[in-house]
Amino acid sequence: MNDLIRRAIAAEADERPDPATVLAGLRRTRQRKPFGLVVGVASLTVAAAAAAVVIPMTIKKTESAPVAAAQPATAQNVLLVGTDDVDFADAILLARFEADGSVNAVSVPRDIAVGDTTINRLYRDDPARLVSAVEQVTGQKVDHHAAVRMAEFGKIAQVVGGVEVCLKKAAVDSITGVSFPAGKQTLEGDRALAFLRQRHGLAHGDLDRVRRHQAFLAGLAAKISKDNALALAREAGGSIRVDSGWDVLAFAQRFQGPVKIVVGTLPVGEPVTIADNVLALPADPSRAKQFVEQQFAGGAPAQDGCVD
Amino acid sequence: MGFDQFVADRLDRLLRYATAITCDKHLAQDIVQNVLMRAQSRWERIEKMSAPYLYVKRMVTNDYLSWRHRKAAREIAVERAELAQRVPSMADPADAHAERDAMRARIAVLPRKQRAALVLRFYEDCTDAEIAQVLACTESTVRSQITRALKTLRAHEIARSTTLGVHS
Repeated sequence: MNDLIRRAIAAEADERPDPATVLAGLRRTRQRKPFGLVVGVASLTVAAAAAAVVIPMTIKKTESAPVAAAQPATAQNVLLVGTDDVDFADAILLARFEADGSVNAVSVPRDIAVGDTTINRLYRDDPARLVSAVEQVTGQKVDHHAAVRMAEFGKIAQVVGGVEVCLKKAAVDSITGVSFPAGKQTLEGDRALAFLRQRHGLAHGDLDRVRRHQAFLAGLAAKISKDNALALAREAGGSIRVDSGWDVLAFAQRFQGPVKIVVGTLPVGEPVTIADNVLALPADPSRAKQFVEQQFAGGAPAQDGCVD
Repeated sequence: MGFDQFVADRLDRLLRYATAITCDKHLAQDIVQNVLMRAQSRWERIEKMSAPYLYVKRMVTNDYLSWRHRKAAREIAVERAELAQRVPSMADPADAHAERDAMRARIAVLPRKQRAALVLRFYEDCTDAEIAQVLACTESTVRSQITRALKTLRAHEIARSTTLGVHS
């Protein structure tokens, strides 16, 4: 009978209210600001942040860079982490949010060697370890961090009505069996997830996947508007974890329109073996730091919109 | 751990727990929301405790067991009691879902404190000591609450199978 009781209670518990609604209620009480506005703006961050885990090189940076220079104190570096089902980091992105709302970001390949392990394993142990490793590799201070499960992106893509990406050539993911034609296509749900997860069968494995994350984020950022922002906040808001010292809503106030994002991938060396059967990519500290500085200064080269 | 982090990590679990003890998701939402607002205002003290989650769970439980929700709890109980009466005659004993839902209805009409003890034991997998902490009572009271709840559920179970046996 005990097993029956367990099942009965679990079924009752499954009827729970939506955590996102409760979270929104909590924030509403705390902020005492017009609900729609705050959430709408916040979701742009969420999208930038959430989406953030992935990213764009197709979108050109705005010409209004001087504004940022006038208020350097408010620019912030945010570490965005996309986690897999066991809380390893599948996507790591250091993004510099300027005061004018523009974003320059650097993808950190997840296989970068840190001691005898790889950087993607640090988050699960302790987010602070990942933060300090990223600071070490990039030479930049991390002000805040946010994490979202990669599995959420299928739904997120659905909420914005699909995310457009472009593939240089047709691809088949041997793990999921999902196939993608060459050229522009709109992805959502499971196909979006397969696109974000595929690394087998790509010439550069995880590095190609990083480019896909970037292309997806670019596509996503382009689709976010104030019309779908609320729905997006409902869908993704509850599953995003941020560090406790970060007032995300205050931070979100700086975004008034579509987020513009420019992303590059941190340069790395050839794979090396760091432990039994563990391949990792060595970071080149001086080259990496210089790259990040250029990227954050807005010196990113224009890139082709289609990915492998 | 900061308050926001706590909420991010535990909100879903807390809502499940509150829904299981109240058997009403709207009431669960009200209670959890109120409790978290109160917890936030004194988070500095709560986060220093050895088990913040257990403490917040205790706040949720107390809130539900308090006089404020007595009326709401009674209304839910009446509603579920009607359901419980109807379920046995309609249920196909071979149907696992029907059996589970019948049990769910019977748990819903238990006294509030007995149900809370049951949820803490069978859903939250708490020890007697932890349950005693949440319910603010002794461990022997915890054991007697659970024993009484199980006895009631078993009596219903027997009555139900007998009824079904006669019909079939």
